[in-house]
Amino acid sequence: MSEKITILVGDDSILARKQLKDILIGIQDNLTFVEASNGQEAVDKFKEVHPDIVFLDIVMPVKDGIGATTDIIAADSSAKIIIVSSVGTQSQLKSAIEAGAKDFIQKPIRAEQVTAIFNTYIGG
Amino acid sequence: MYAQFFGGFLLGKNAVTPEQLTSAISKLSDTHIKLGTLAMHKGYMTASEVDEVCFLQTREDKRFGEIALERCYLFEDQLEDLLVSQNPDYLLLGQTLVDMGAINNADLESLMVEYQSENEIDDFATAREDANTSIRLIENFFEDSGIHANEYALDYLNLMFNNLVRFIGEDFTPLQPSPARSYNVSYCVMQRLTGVARFTCGLDMEPNIAVSFASRYAKMDFDAFDEYVKASLEDFLNLHNGLFSVNMSNNHSVELNLAPPAQEEGPVIELNDTGFIIPVLYPFGTIYMILEF
Repeated sequence: MSEKITILVGDDSILARKQLKDILIGIQDNLTFVEASNGQEAVDKFKEVHPDIVFLDIVMPVKDGIGATTDIIAADSSAKIIIVSSVGTQSQLKSAIEAGAKDFIQKPIRAEQVTAIFNTYIGG
Repeated sequence: MYAQFFGGFLLGKNAVTPEQLTSAISKLSDTHIKLGTLAMHKGYMTASEVDEVCFLQTREDKRFGEIALERCYLFEDQLEDLLVSQNPDYLLLGQTLVDMGAINNADLESLMVEYQSENEIDDFATAREDANTSIRLIENFFEDSGIHANEYALDYLNLMFNNLVRFIGEDFTPLQPSPARSYNVSYCVMQRLTGVARFTCGLDMEPNIAVSFASRYAKMDFDAFDEYVKASLEDFLNLHNGLFSVNMSNNHSVELNLAPPAQEEGPVIELNDTGFIIPVLYPFGTIYMILEF
């Protein structure tokens, strides 16, 4: 049995978290999920569990995904953060990359893209 | 979107009942041949190309033909051929209403002439591929309502109706918009956009109708009004507003900030003097769009 991979999913939508988890579960079976429903919770959970990869929505209550990215990178500059959002404007993408996000997935998500991103950053 | 607005036009003229219209429009997807299907049938596109274009339509506010041309899946003359072969939706809707006995052919003929002249429809093929004509349909839709819809509001609603087609289904009829300073909510989610332009958009519906709406949006079979159903309504709104903010950024260099969508507790919500409500009739029930610009 290979080593467990921990994935942090930060999205205020329970449906969006489920859709992303359902895709990831299909890739491999050694995954552990930690969920957060706002940006601050994502930062706190990150510090607690040190996940292998983080998926963050941009529009979230309390703290948005860009703010959460900044805080997570401040805690661990090697964190692998993927932004998953419907707000794919150039300025939002620029802010996310400047904050330290590695990649971007536009909603509605599709399995092939999530799988490709997962394989790039975690290895298939 | 001609069929949807033609349905609203027929209701406004009392030519059909809401029940007859709902029944006819729910049959549209059985009779309406999509451009992608036609393109496969003619051998112009492969199934995977059609799937790809349909998927891209959920991310970019563009028409099927426009994306297919950009991706070199179709040549211009092929698209022209497909558009000429495709029957306009509202003719199919009219025919279905005649077949059901809701109206007769003579009534249909005069109503169609009136509808075409009101909406300046003279060439079906180009009319359906031209975004300006959709905007004109929406402008006409607001006429007589006493609501001033500016350019951004028209763009916003054009995208909203397109997103209803893409994510919920084409079997809807927008009913007459009405100004409102306050509104009694049932289950309502709202999202605010701020920046150079300010928008508020809400979706309100009965819980049992929300279950049907969410099942279509999430492509899951929900049977109770639960957290997933509530999240589906918020996701739809967030997706729509996300696409709108991308359009505003790309087309007008206007950057908007989105607040997270949230439930409006009500029972009454107050709107400013630009507030208005658009009921949208689906076979599973009526949803209400609440807007403020």
